[in-house]
Amino acid sequence: MDQNRLQVWGMRAAFVLIALVIVFFHLLPLDPSPGRWAGPDLLVAVVFAWAVRRPDYVPILLIAGVMLMADMMLQRPPGLWSVLVVCAAEWMKSRERRQRETTFVLEWMTFAGCLIAITVVYRAVLMVLIVVPGTFTLAFVQVMMTIALYPVVVGVSHLVLGVRRAAPGDVDRLGRTV
Amino acid sequence: MAKNGSNSEDYTTPLKRLLLAVVILCLLGVFFLWRIDSPRVERFRAAVIDTVLPSFDWAMAPVTATVNLGRDFRSYQRIYEQNQELRRELRQMTAWKEAALQLEQENAKLRDLNNVRLDTRLTYITGVVLADSGSPFRQSVLINVGSRDGIVDGWATMDGTGLVGRVSGVGANTSRVIMLTDATSRIPATIQPSGQRALIVGDNSASPPIDFLEDPDQVRPGDRIVTSGDGDVFPPGLLIGQVAQDPGGRLRTRLAADYERLEFLRVLRDHGARRVSNPAALILPETPPVDAEEEASAEAEVSQ
Repeated sequence: MDQNRLQVWGMRAAFVLIALVIVFFHLLPLDPSPGRWAGPDLLVAVVFAWAVRRPDYVPILLIAGVMLMADMMLQRPPGLWSVLVVCAAEWMKSRERRQRETTFVLEWMTFAGCLIAITVVYRAVLMVLIVVPGTFTLAFVQVMMTIALYPVVVGVSHLVLGVRRAAPGDVDRLGRTV
Repeated sequence: MAKNGSNSEDYTTPLKRLLLAVVILCLLGVFFLWRIDSPRVERFRAAVIDTVLPSFDWAMAPVTATVNLGRDFRSYQRIYEQNQELRRELRQMTAWKEAALQLEQENAKLRDLNNVRLDTRLTYITGVVLADSGSPFRQSVLINVGSRDGIVDGWATMDGTGLVGRVSGVGANTSRVIMLTDATSRIPATIQPSGQRALIVGDNSASPPIDFLEDPDQVRPGDRIVTSGDGDVFPPGLLIGQVAQDPGGRLRTRLAADYERLEFLRVLRDHGARRVSNPAALILPETPPVDAEEEASAEAEVSQ
């Protein structure tokens, strides 16, 4: 049981490390001129992929903390994107509990729907509060890139880090089924 | 065990809901605090970045250097053409250098005759670019000089040739430069030689459009754009770039600074720059003007 606990905390640490690496690569001053393309928002893909597979690896506080850190470092309005990601991730966690037997395509669709929904809400809130939300095309490209790369993120998490859905026999430290 | 599990679930679910609600409220609180008192939260952000980023620097510098090396390597493929091109340019430059030297000497002589004391206001501090804004929606860079080196909010930054942006957000060791291409950047400019006033409005593209131009007919592609010094935003006369026309007929700025390779930035010391300390300081005067009638009635009350 202790072994189990150790593994959970190890994976939480790995999540924070991955988030830091992603932010680090965002911040590299490679080409400061404005680009026509926006890269994918990998952090969100990782959060959702892990939240669906192993909710205990990404507890609420951890998601909130990491996203707030990303908001701060990446010059976004602090708090808004984090709150949307936390809500969407929690919703996906609760949904995952109800229907375990989902296909990957369905999960991918859910992810796409969630991402589009929170992006729309994010831009709408910023527009209502008269903050410039950035050009629409860039946001569109970013969402599409993120959706397109979601299977890759899931694959890497599954194969390299071993983040996969709990098998029917697995129990957590309180003896509940995961 | 199944029963046991369902029991503990009963305890944890409400707790989890409560935690979720608290987290959501906290994050929303942070967001609204930022919206209401932006300068304070931005100062906090600058402080956070100021403490976090310099510790990343040991890793950032080599990775950036490696990627740039790879990019340079690609340009070696056409090294012969480049060499020829550079030789041609060098020949032209030698002629210009000769002319410049002659002019410099003449200038020195004339200054000596007039006993002119040059304006020493515009000295500069050079900083190294540490990091990008990290988001495709914001155009800013972080440089490694801060309040410790005397940097003040609002100062202009240039690369070797042209204006790059404005300092906004100063930490102890780092400061953020909002570039002219950022969607929030508005720089008053004069277009030479016609002397037309205009605003260079950043829109997240590589060549920001020219807006609020009095008479577009007097402006031609190729005209020089310099800062006008209006509103004490920047000292006048800093080179921004050249006028260019996009296929839609809109006038845009071809920036003189090389935005693709920003490595070193000069921050110009400018003690006349206007500082923004509270959210309304740009729009409202420091002390609200008292209404004349109100004043009169207040005086009447006092005399009664």
